[in-house]
Amino acid sequence: MPLARKLLLLLIAIGTCAALLSACTPVAAWERGTLAKPEMALEPDPLAATLHDHVYFSKEASSGGNSASGGGCGCN
Amino acid sequence: MMRKHALLATLWAIGLIGVCQLAAALDLGTSAPAFTLPGLRPQDGAAKLNLADFRGKVVYVDFWASWCGPCVVSTPLLNELRNRLVKQGKAFEIVAINVDKKPADGIDFLSDQPVQYVALSDPAGTTPASYQVKSMPTGFLVDASGKIRLIHQGFKTSDIKLIEAEVEKLLAEKP
Repeated sequence: MPLARKLLLLLIAIGTCAALLSACTPVAAWERGTLAKPEMALEPDPLAATLHDHVYFSKEASSGGNSASGGGCGCN
Repeated sequence: MMRKHALLATLWAIGLIGVCQLAAALDLGTSAPAFTLPGLRPQDGAAKLNLADFRGKVVYVDFWASWCGPCVVSTPLLNELRNRLVKQGKAFEIVAINVDKKPADGIDFLSDQPVQYVALSDPAGTTPASYQVKSMPTGFLVDASGKIRLIHQGFKTSDIKLIEAEVEKLLAEKP
């Protein structure tokens, strides 16, 4: 088998393995109970998150790019 | 060569359309999928209940969980609506399907917010899957002949008026 062909097959094999080993899994809306726990939220306290956002906006003269104000209820 | 490409293209197109069908939500006017589930609380009874047991009544099938934030708002409002309509002798019932993995969490939620309507338990999640629930909570208003007439996703306080209007409309329909 020519080298190019071998490399292509190797690339496909590695790509397939990487895709199969992915930890991503779809979570249905009714399965979000564990994700809805406060300890699973990126920003569990909406008030603290808003405070941080205001300080950031003031110091950086920019805003956004962070998670929505906390309380992940997993409702959607 | 061309024939092979044409065949592959056709198969790909069929596959794409097939996948789109999978993504389609439950349509209004279709029959509400059947379910047989046990009661959540002791007062809901040990015997399993079917959706068919409520045929002839307008039923609001509500998928809820103890961890669902908007359910804290929806529960007392739905309970008040149900009690008021039942007191008026209307053929209306709410069947609330709890999807908590641990039913005890659902029972705890209802001990803080007691409701007089039927609460069933589906920890396996087969019923929300058959109803293609996309968000929590979701309510399906089913008419007396078993057809889905309204799919209500999420819940805010003003939604109860919308639901009440739909329920009254369905109750007024001749069988």
